[in-house]
Amino acid sequence: MTRATEAATFFGITATIYLALLFQWLPITLPQTVQEFTLPVLPWWALVTFGAYSLGNIGYHVLTFRDCPEAFDELQIQIAQAQSDLRSKGVRI
Amino acid sequence: MIGHHKYSVLLPTYNERENLPVIIWLLTKTFQDNNIDYEIIVIDDNSPDGTLEIAQQLQKIYGEDRILLRPRAGKLGLGTAYVHGIQHATGDFIFILDADMSHHPKFIPEMIRLQQSKNLDVVTGTRYAGNGGVYGWDLKRKVISRGANFLATVLLRPGVSDLTGSFRLYKKEVLTQLISSCISKGYVFQMEMMVRARQFNFTIGEVPITFVDRVFGDSKMGAMEIVSYAQGLLKLFIAV
Repeated sequence: MTRATEAATFFGITATIYLALLFQWLPITLPQTVQEFTLPVLPWWALVTFGAYSLGNIGYHVLTFRDCPEAFDELQIQIAQAQSDLRSKGVRI
Repeated sequence: MIGHHKYSVLLPTYNERENLPVIIWLLTKTFQDNNIDYEIIVIDDNSPDGTLEIAQQLQKIYGEDRILLRPRAGKLGLGTAYVHGIQHATGDFIFILDADMSHHPKFIPEMIRLQQSKNLDVVTGTRYAGNGGVYGWDLKRKVISRGANFLATVLLRPGVSDLTGSFRLYKKEVLTQLISSCISKGYVFQMEMMVRARQFNFTIGEVPITFVDRVFGDSKMGAMEIVSYAQGLLKLFIAV
């Protein structure tokens, strides 16, 4: 299964269950508030929740992003070392 | 794991006359200090700045058995550079990393240790987990990077924290199989290799690395790059 078909299958099954509950195709009786208020807005809620999660995830990782100036400094020193060592061995740098 | 192992480093180069001596110096130093059998295969795509010439000088210092030169006639792309390089590799393991010193060879021993401890098929460096980090990115670049990684994780669920990284250790036969199954080009190719590795149930480990981006200020991250990245992601989404 490709990633796309996995996603399509997941959404297909979820959508079928949701529609079945919404249009009351199944012999299940849900509490009135759930049937009339919660179910119809569930997809929008899911979308907004996903959006909030995405922003939160990206924002968190940007905030906790590790800068590494010490790696840059170390590299500068080693570049100088490397160049002088190689020059002394005859490489035309 | 007992037994003797040799590590071949594939180094595709284009206009790296200044960086090549330093990266080779760092690589050879790391391998020698840690008693690791190695060879470095420089695949130069006919650089106009004399990269090949300086590689020849380095070859005289380190030996033709340590520095192998396998140049090509023109800029032919990363995937084919790896294919070309692997054909001449005598090691049983392959390292790939960038020649511009954004990847530091000091992480090589740790990647080898991790690979041996669990007999992993692939070890990849990650900038985003553990003690990994990046130097030289401004806020905009960080947001784009994390956004891109998030999108890739949601769509492809790769199981690695850094999908576009290209500092990796592969078993030679694993890399050969991965390359032959990949269809994309450029850095999407690096992503595809990880996703394919998951598809083929190869075992993957991660080592945090520091990435020193010295090309900051240079806009390698324009709108075109972002669009082509998204297109690449979509292709992988439906193909893998």
